[in-house]
Order: sequence, then C-alpha cells, then structure tokens
Amino acid sequence: MPRPPALRTLLAVALVAAAGIALGQDFANVPATEPSITDWMLDPVTPIAHEVRSYTLFLVAMTLPYLLLPQVLLLYCIFKFGKKPGMRPATFHENVRLEVVWTIVPALTLVLLAIPAYGLIKKIENMPEADVNIQVIGHQFYWEYRYPDYNDIRISEEPLVIPVNKTVVADMTSVDVNHAWWVPAFGIKMDTVPGRTTQVWFNVEREGWFKGQCAELCGTLHSKMLIDVHVVSQEEFDAWIAKKQAEFAPADEAEETAPEPSAGDADEGAVAQEQSAS
Amino acid sequence: MSIMLDKPKDQKTAEAPRGVPRFPDEPVKPVKTPNVFLNILGSTDHKVLGILYLILSLVMGVVGGALAGGIRAQLAAHNLEVLSPELFNQFITMHGSIMIFFVIIPALAGFGNYLVPIMIGARDMAFPRLNAFSFWILIPSGVLMFTSFMVQGGAAAAGWTAYPPLSLKEFSGGPGVDMWILGVHLAGISSITGAINFIVTILNMRAPGMNIMKMPLFCWTWLVNAWLILIGTPVLAGAVTMVLMDRAFGTNFFKPGMGGDPVLYQHLFWFYSHPAVYIMVLPGFGMISHVLASFSHKRIFGYTGMVWAVSAIGVLGFLVWGHHMFTAGISPELRLYFSFATMVIAVPTGVKIWSWLATIWGGTIEFRTPMKFALGFLSLFVIGGISGVFLANVPFDIQVHDSYFVVAHFHYVLVGGSVMSLFAGAYFWFPKMSGRVLSEKLGNVVFWLFFIGMNTTFLPLHLVGLQGMARRIWQYRPEFETVNGIASLGYLFMAAAGALFIYSIFEALRRPRDCGADPWKINDVQESLVWDIPSPPPAYNFARIPVIK
Ligand SMILES: [Cu+2]
Ligand SMILES: [Cu+2]
Repeated sequence: MPRPPALRTLLAVALVAAAGIALGQDFANVPATEPSITDWMLDPVTPIAHEVRSYTLFLVAMTLPYLLLPQVLLLYCIFKFGKKPGMRPATFHENVRLEVVWTIVPALTLVLLAIPAYGLIKKIENMPEADVNIQVIGHQFYWEYRYPDYNDIRISEEPLVIPVNKTVVADMTSVDVNHAWWVPAFGIKMDTVPGRTTQVWFNVEREGWFKGQCAELCGTLHSKMLIDVHVVSQEEFDAWIAKKQAEFAPADEAEETAPEPSAGDADEGAVAQEQSAS
Repeated sequence: MSIMLDKPKDQKTAEAPRGVPRFPDEPVKPVKTPNVFLNILGSTDHKVLGILYLILSLVMGVVGGALAGGIRAQLAAHNLEVLSPELFNQFITMHGSIMIFFVIIPALAGFGNYLVPIMIGARDMAFPRLNAFSFWILIPSGVLMFTSFMVQGGAAAAGWTAYPPLSLKEFSGGPGVDMWILGVHLAGISSITGAINFIVTILNMRAPGMNIMKMPLFCWTWLVNAWLILIGTPVLAGAVTMVLMDRAFGTNFFKPGMGGDPVLYQHLFWFYSHPAVYIMVLPGFGMISHVLASFSHKRIFGYTGMVWAVSAIGVLGFLVWGHHMFTAGISPELRLYFSFATMVIAVPTGVKIWSWLATIWGGTIEFRTPMKFALGFLSLFVIGGISGVFLANVPFDIQVHDSYFVVAHFHYVLVGGSVMSLFAGAYFWFPKMSGRVLSEKLGNVVFWLFFIGMNTTFLPLHLVGLQGMARRIWQYRPEFETVNGIASLGYLFMAAAGALFIYSIFEALRRPRDCGADPWKINDVQESLVWDIPSPPPAYNFARIPVIK
C-alpha cells in the first residue's frame, strides 16, 4: 500500500500546528491599540512582565527541539516506512544506550529550565519597598480598590488609577468567593481569596490604559468582572487623589463591611498612616 | 512469548504454577433466559459489561459534545446571548464533568473490561458481580447529573472544580451542586470498585506462564491506572463530601468567615484531579502501543522502559497537585518544588514518545484507520505535552493560569491524547467485539474531520490565552473574536466526525460477522491472545486456559 497523500497533509498540518504554538507570540501581531488588552508578549510594561517575557522566550528556545523532533521523526517514518511489497519489518525492540540517552538528556534540559525560574519566582514573590499601597477587594461582580495611604479612599466599579514608574504593592482579598486579579501587560495574576490576604507588586513604566479581567470563575457575571487600570503621571495622580479625597468622606462609609486585608510586612507603613489618619 | 492453546495436561489435577488459580477445563455454559434484555441486565460477563461501558460512553459523549456545542455557539462572537450567563456556567460545569466521569473514564474502563481478561488469558474478571455493580451504579450517577438541569436553579454551575466558597450554599443555592456531588460519589464508587477488580484480576488471574513482565502493555497501564484510582478517588470523595457537609449540615470546613479554608479544598481536590489526568490517559497509552506495534508489524520497542515509565508517571502523578495553585498564594519554595516535580513527569512521558517512534521505525506501516488515529495521537500529544512543560514553569503559569492557554493545553491532552486513543482503540478492537470491521472509507473521513476539527478548535485558543482571555467567560472582549470564531467553526468538524463515527458503527452492524480471528493479519508478530480467539470471543473466552511459554 503506497503512502496515502492524506497522511502527508496530516503531518504537514501537525507540523504547522506545532510551529504555530511556538511562534504564537510572533504571529500574534495584533496592534495594541485602545481598547485592546495590551499583549504582554509584545508590549510588557513592568519589570516582571519583561522578565516573564524573556523567560518565556527561553522556554520556547529550550523546548522547541522537543516539540519539533518527534514531529519530524514521525513524518520521516510515515514517508519512509509505509508498507511496500517485498518489504520486511525490522525486528529490533530495544536499545539500552538509546533509552538512557533519551531519559538523561531531557532531564538535564529540565534542570536548566528550572534554575532561572527560581530567581524570577522570588522576585515576583518578595514585595519591594512600596511607593503606593493599594488594596484590591473582589466582589461578585466588581472590583473595589482602596488607597490606605490616602485617607483610605475607596473606589468601586471604576478604573484603578496609579502613578507611572512607582512601585505599587497591592494587598488582595475578597468578600465573597475566590476571584483572581489579572492584568496581562503587568505580568501578574493573583487569586483573591476570602479570609486571606495575597500580595502582588508592579511598577508600570509608561502611562496609559491597561486592561484585564477576573480570572477565577466567580459566578454568573464572572465574564463582566473587567479590570481597567489607568496609569498616569505623578501630577495627574496627585490631582486625582485630591479630587477623590474631596468627594470622599470616610465617616459616611462606616457601614462598609468589607474586611480589612490584614497587614503584611510590606504595608506596615500604610497601616501606621491609616491609624494616624483616622 | 508464544502461546500453546491446546494444553497437554489436565489443569484440574496438574501442577499449575504456584499462585495461579485453577480453572475447570471446560467452562460452565452461561445461564441464558430467552429474554435478551434480562440477559444483558443480569450479565456478569466482562465482555458484555465492557460493551455496556462503551455504549454509555458513546451516549454520554453525545451529551457532552452537545454541551460543548452550546459553549462554542455562545463564544462564536463576543457579545452573543445564545445561552444565558447562568446556563453558560452550567454548560461548562457539566461539559467537563460528563466528559471526564462519563465519557473518558468509562470508555477506558470498557476497553479494560473487555480486553484485560482476554489479554492475560482469563475467563472473566476476578469479581464478576462487583464488575456488574461498578457499571450499573454509573446509571443513577449519570441520571443525577443529567436531571440536575431540570431542577430549580439548574445544574451545578461552579465549574467541574467546584471551588468553595462558590460551591457553598450561600452562592450556589439550588440543589444542582448537591446532585453533582452525589453523582460524583456514585461515579467514584464505580471507579473504586472497578479499580479493585482490575488490580485483583491482573495480579491473580494471569494464565500459567504469563510472567508480569510478559503481560501486554495495555494491562500494565490498567494496573497502574487502577492504583491511581484507588488512591486518588477517595480523596476527591472526601473533599466533595466536606462541601456537601458545609452545604447541608452546617459544618465550616471551607467557610472563610467561620475559620474554614477555601484553599484547603483546592489541595484536596487536585490531589485527586491531577492524577485524574493520568487516569484519563494511561490506558490510552497502552492502546496506542498496541496499535502502533500492530500496524508497523513490529514488537513494541523498549517494553521494560515503557513499564517503568508508566509506573513512574503513576507515582509522580501524586506529587505535583500544587501546579494548579500557582496563583493561590503558596510559598515560592513550594511552588518551585511543584514546578520541578511536574517537569520531571515530562521525562517518563518523553520515554514513551521516543519508544513509540522507535516502535514504528523500520516497520512496514499500514495506514489503516486505527493507525491513523494512533499517529495523529502521537503528533497531538507531543504538542499537549510541551505546552504542559510551559505551564509547569511558575513565571509563565502565573501569566496564563486560568486562561484559554490552559484550556487549549488540556484539550490537546484529553482530546488529542485520550479521545484520539479511544478512537484508535475503537477502530482496532471493534472487529474483535462485533465480528465486523468498521468501514475504512468512512473511517478515513472520520479521522480527517476529527483531526482537522480538533486542531482548528484548539490550536488558535493558545493564542487568545496568551493575549489575555480568561477561561470560563460567557462574553469576551471584541479583540478575541476572530480566533473564537475559528474555534467554533472547528467544533462543527468534530461534531460531524462524531456523527459519522456513530453512523459507521450502525453501518457495520448490518453486515455479517465474518472478519475472522485476526482481521488485521498482525498476530504473526504480536502473538496476542486477543487475536487468537474467535471474533467475537465465545462465553468465557477460552475453552482451555492457555499456557504461555
Ligand atoms: Cu471574579
Ligand atoms: Cu495537574
């Protein structure tokens, strides 16, 4: 039986598919214009996002051979070993040396992948000195943001406003179910879990609008729990804060029942300020 | 390994090797009533039960596929309202639950039931009545799941993961989640009793001379699989029972306001549900090994390595659950451990891939329908495996966790892996079960429709995941629309493949049972008991228990 041409197409499709995944970031050339989600692979805007991007490219480079080699070998077998009259199948069924090689070499590759990951995890995880502290509180189905440094301003269902080039440390929790706060261009995602406080930090390097959404199924309108972040200059930020402080009277909101995120190490300053302010 | 079917000595009195149970040479005639339905309902024959499992899986596959159709219709454009948001969440929850508990797991149990006793030269499973129980208890389980759409508040809508607090009474008030939990309990009982049966059968009922390292690989994958089920499923049952207690009896295991911990549930849930990934694919690995070797007319390459690889995957599978929780706030050291442990699984998985390639290398490959599905499996499973290595790495995973990249990844593993291997197995063993070969012509069309549809649906989804589309969302931002439209188009191909596959079964059943014992003409090399006995095999399989040399 000759090789059916259909099988060649099959393998060609598979190969293109495989290459497509690896190169996904490159043919994802969607212009990052408003109001698109800013693509973290094309246009990362925080130090973490930059590093995650390079780490991902490193992953692609290291795993590409393992993605392509099996496809190529498969293709070769299909072209080469299709049954023809008079052909006799080989009878080998083991080769210890080969088996040792294909166990050890991938294992070593994996060690190489893990080493740089550790430094990056630490960097993501360890909160730096904060310029601005915020609190992110998930609700079904909207986000509430608080600014403990600034009279505990609270905003709900409106964009988060933060200054450019400043380290923002966010304490996160939820009042009802699990949510997850995800802004792709920032390179971070963190679950907001009721009864717990989780933390992320980011330092956005340019002004603009950045979009994201809740990433943990949280109920009927999960898909409508969008995130908008407006990154502005320090002056604009100060002006915005002043405006908000003017319209925001903390005493009126005394009934707000959302639990305070417990203070981690990084926001002791914020807590002190909060206490002195009240 | 060679087989002697005409046995020289009388087994009743002769010295069977130690540990091998003795069977009467001439099996008792099965008790039959004239009523066909009673025969099926009361049957404890592993072959009848195996086929019942497969029929259940096919029927539920239509249901799960229809739910997927609803999901893809809703997502075909960014602001459709094909389904209400409530119904959409019910659809995603039930699509996942049905495909896992009622399609893939029962289908593998079906093949296992049918084939394992024959492959090891036994006349039935060790506990035939327990075997019947394992199957029939799936029916009330499926009915509970399915009818939950009709109760007030609809079916469970908290995702197949059912994370509290969302799955607790306060946020999911209707009886849907309770019915889902009870359904999972019953399916779990079915899995556990089935697993016990497989372990006992494989360890005790092998024909004389069938050393465990001579046992066909499919039996090995089922042995490891059965241990995974036996160890993992009770933990899942415990976790969902705790949710049920929180919902119904006022306990506070997972209620944050009462000192409970929602993250604890995630640990318990994934302790089962990561191994579940292997529960859904290991026997598929076994089937693929058989198909690849058969149609290359070679023996499986690296049998010993394959056995060790499957066992290693089984053990490691229990050590990596935390990779589903990289954004749940666990410590960096723990994340690094889970990350590395997960990547280690890529090593034995790689051993399997390389060994499969070496199996077909130098063979005389016949591109029959089962072989097409097996080769397609190889190609797709590599893609799913590599995206799995990506996801194992914490910095990358934080970025795409709970995004469509994950959806694309696990559909490559479960559709490109499990379902492709089920198709390969179905085409390969259907002649043995029915005495007829499925149409090659239709099979070719089924394969291409499915393969193209599968890639059209899931390959583009990697892209929107990378760009920031979260999973389980009812409507999405307009910039993801093109890719989602393509994915929805791909669904139509897969649905057509499914319909044509079912048609081709009915088409084949109209033909006479004349395919013979070895319709693929492969047993000169494979020396499998399966292809030695008639198609379909007689009651109790072997007139005399074979002796393996
Ligand atoms: Cu949410
Ligand atoms: Cu997992």
